[in-house]
Amino acid sequence: MGRIPRSYLLNRVVTLLITVWIAATLIWIIPRLSPVDPADIMLGRMAAGAGAVENADQILAQLRENFGLNDPLVVQYVKYIRNVVTFDFGLSTATFPTQVSTLIARALPWTVGLMLLSVIITFFIGNALGALMAWDRSPKLVRVAIPVAMVFTSIPPILSGLLLMWLLAAKLRWFPLTGAYGLTVEPGWTWGFVQSVIHHGFLPALSIVIVTFGFWALGMRGLMITVQGEDYVTLAKAKGLRPRYILYRYMIRNAILPQITAFALKIGLLVAGQVLVERIFAYNGMGKLLYDAILDQDFPVIQGVSFVIILMTAVSVFLVDLVYPFVDPRIRHDGVET
Amino acid sequence: MNVLDVTDLSIDFPTARGVVHALADLSFSVARGRRLGIIGESGSGKTTTALAVMRMLASPGFVSGGSIRLGDQDVLTLPEDRMRRTRLRRVSYIPQGAMNSLNPVMRVEDQLKDAIVAHEGRTERDALRTRLADAFAGVGLPEHAGSLYPHELSGGMKQRVCIALGVILNPDLVIADEPTSALDVVTQRQVMQTLKDVQERIGAALILIGHDMGLMAQTVDELVVLKDGVLVEHGDTRRVIEKPHHPYTRELVASVPLVGGESFLGTSAAAQEITRSRKDLALLEFENVQKDYAGITALHPMSFSLSGDEPRIISIVGQSGSGKSTMGSIMLGFNPPSTGRVLFEGRDIARMSPQQSRVFRKNVQAVFQDPYACFNPFYRVDHALGFPFRRFGYATSDAQVQDRMYEACQAVGLDPDLILRRYPHELSGGQRQRLIVARALMLNPKLLIADEPVSMVDASLRATILKNIYDLKDSHGISIFYITHDLATAYHVSDYVMVLYKGQVVEAGPPKEVIGDPQHPYTQLLIASIPWPDPDREWGGTTTAAEDIAALDAMDHDAPTVFRGDVPGFTLDVGK
Repeated sequence: MGRIPRSYLLNRVVTLLITVWIAATLIWIIPRLSPVDPADIMLGRMAAGAGAVENADQILAQLRENFGLNDPLVVQYVKYIRNVVTFDFGLSTATFPTQVSTLIARALPWTVGLMLLSVIITFFIGNALGALMAWDRSPKLVRVAIPVAMVFTSIPPILSGLLLMWLLAAKLRWFPLTGAYGLTVEPGWTWGFVQSVIHHGFLPALSIVIVTFGFWALGMRGLMITVQGEDYVTLAKAKGLRPRYILYRYMIRNAILPQITAFALKIGLLVAGQVLVERIFAYNGMGKLLYDAILDQDFPVIQGVSFVIILMTAVSVFLVDLVYPFVDPRIRHDGVET
Repeated sequence: MNVLDVTDLSIDFPTARGVVHALADLSFSVARGRRLGIIGESGSGKTTTALAVMRMLASPGFVSGGSIRLGDQDVLTLPEDRMRRTRLRRVSYIPQGAMNSLNPVMRVEDQLKDAIVAHEGRTERDALRTRLADAFAGVGLPEHAGSLYPHELSGGMKQRVCIALGVILNPDLVIADEPTSALDVVTQRQVMQTLKDVQERIGAALILIGHDMGLMAQTVDELVVLKDGVLVEHGDTRRVIEKPHHPYTRELVASVPLVGGESFLGTSAAAQEITRSRKDLALLEFENVQKDYAGITALHPMSFSLSGDEPRIISIVGQSGSGKSTMGSIMLGFNPPSTGRVLFEGRDIARMSPQQSRVFRKNVQAVFQDPYACFNPFYRVDHALGFPFRRFGYATSDAQVQDRMYEACQAVGLDPDLILRRYPHELSGGQRQRLIVARALMLNPKLLIADEPVSMVDASLRATILKNIYDLKDSHGISIFYITHDLATAYHVSDYVMVLYKGQVVEAGPPKEVIGDPQHPYTQLLIASIPWPDPDREWGGTTTAAEDIAALDAMDHDAPTVFRGDVPGFTLDVGK
């Protein structure tokens, strides 16, 4: 162990790039299999707004030209890949002529802030509770209470979100109903704004945490039960170690390993994972952006968001690949299990 | 002054089907400096006894009567934190299965340090380092071993770490629960010598738990024989082995196969007329087969040819890491050789058509070491047995499948009515291992590769299972490659023996010569390492295990193979 060998790093980076390239290509191919013509849709939108559109054919042709739809497919593809590398996904058709990358740049921080935080909190809470459920020295109350709390896991997030809104925002008025920050505060690095963001983010975060902690808790419980039967735990007890030390250093430390891999995959999904939560809380993140784009058939935005999701998944898996051998000494950096 | 007094100890396990009495009215004592053995089969209550002394009984087991005293302390009434402090400081436990006894994500030295700190609080770093160095040196481990992770150590080294740990606080009593069950004979002797030395040095008492009468005879002063949770015999080791009072003890003593002793095989089953299609072709051939792993030669070039005219048993013996399992997996086609070819009935197994490959798979069956890992726990035994039979297209009707399953079970000494409708977890290790043989038998193979088929089952069952396998040779005309580190059984079952050391055949020939009168120093070491159930017979002669191994390492590895005679139908050429 120790430092990461260069050959391993190179190997992982190449894998990362290939994954992203294949994903980008698929994102390009799939909409082209769809019978829907984006220029048609734009025109339709104009028609809906203005009642009727003159020179419809001319505008249509112009739009196709602008979108590059008249070029041969190969040219379109090469242009597309070149654009993707610079995060240029073109213009949104729904909020024409805004750049897709501008929309994403506007939404991403909100989602990453809210989702990353709640996913990390969920990971810790879920795994801690799962470990306590399996530990033979946990208080009885804990072992009874956690499974009951896990009823929330079976509730769809949209329902629990509405329930929380009704109870904590509408009835008790502890938290604002919707939005990412108050209408009266000016966005910026001021204390008032940060406070408002935290205040607004609390409810959506809570609804995600209570719905998803069971996933980690159940997984952890199963892993803990397996670890509890391992010889090294028996020997740890026979060594006269303190029970709490055994719990941390011998049991959780080993049981958590598969959870870390699962966590990497979750990070990628978190962008799109809670589309409906963002929707009901009117939280201007990636989920809401994607939701609206799907409704509007706004292909460039869908493509852009999909690409960001894939990129995040691939990058987090890449990071876990680099970190994992430090967490589990049995995995070497040449990828071979010893 | 006794270190441990167990009086009328009873342990019960309440289960859904009623209370199981795991232990009934057990009494024994151990004094300082003494060594006591507890022997019995799995399920006899020996590990339960050890865990009760540690007060670590797994739920729902509980002590239903009697007392356990460690010197002046009453184990059963001690407050929890005092009990925790008693563990390791006054009584230490070396668990079974050295392979998994250490935390895989912690360096070895940290696992000794945390034990010291748990009992003595913060300790000065330099003092701690000196103590660890002493502890490692005391069990013959190199100093750098401490900075390694468990997976970087061999099985024997891991077990030494456990011994070092067990004595680091100079306890009054060390309980070793089958400390060598996963190790080969040479390593076993080394580890047991270390354990005895260390125990004598600190003057502690030792309780050795096991099922091998030979190991007991060579190690302990006093023996307790347990059967189904009841003490059936207790006495001086020499007396128990030489004049056993209880029939069960006699059985245990008799179950140890001896080199040169009476065969445990008895008369073989009536031979059947076997029709063989291609008598002229060799059944299995190696042509200059060599295997390298990452630049290290695991198997040096070798050629052999096993004729198909008559069934034979060829034994491949050696320590772990000698290349014997590599040979087995090459024969099975799981592991392609680096150079050379493997031919089955004249056909290169690497170049078979899918159809030929199926025929090969059917004709060459395998029995592996671990009977617990070989069954899919979701399926009943009848499914596990019938599935390959149906898959290979032998099934004509359900009744015929049923008949074949009955036959196969009976051939390995199992009652099909009791076995077939059960799930694997309901069966013992011995029953499972026999079922694996039965499953292989269903397909009517020509060749069976048995890789350590009995090393994980109780000593008393080994002979029976080996006899089952042995009988297949004559009753079903199956040739067998028997891969093992147990020379005594190889002596009795085989027609030809190859001794493998570091990937090379060092000695080969008929068992009476190779094992009965070994010429090569390595074969001699293997045989000297067998623990004999005879207190008068010195284990390993006058030299220590470490000296023997050092002498071997210093030897010229290009020395020619010692050939001890030929056997019709099998030719071996190691190309030197």
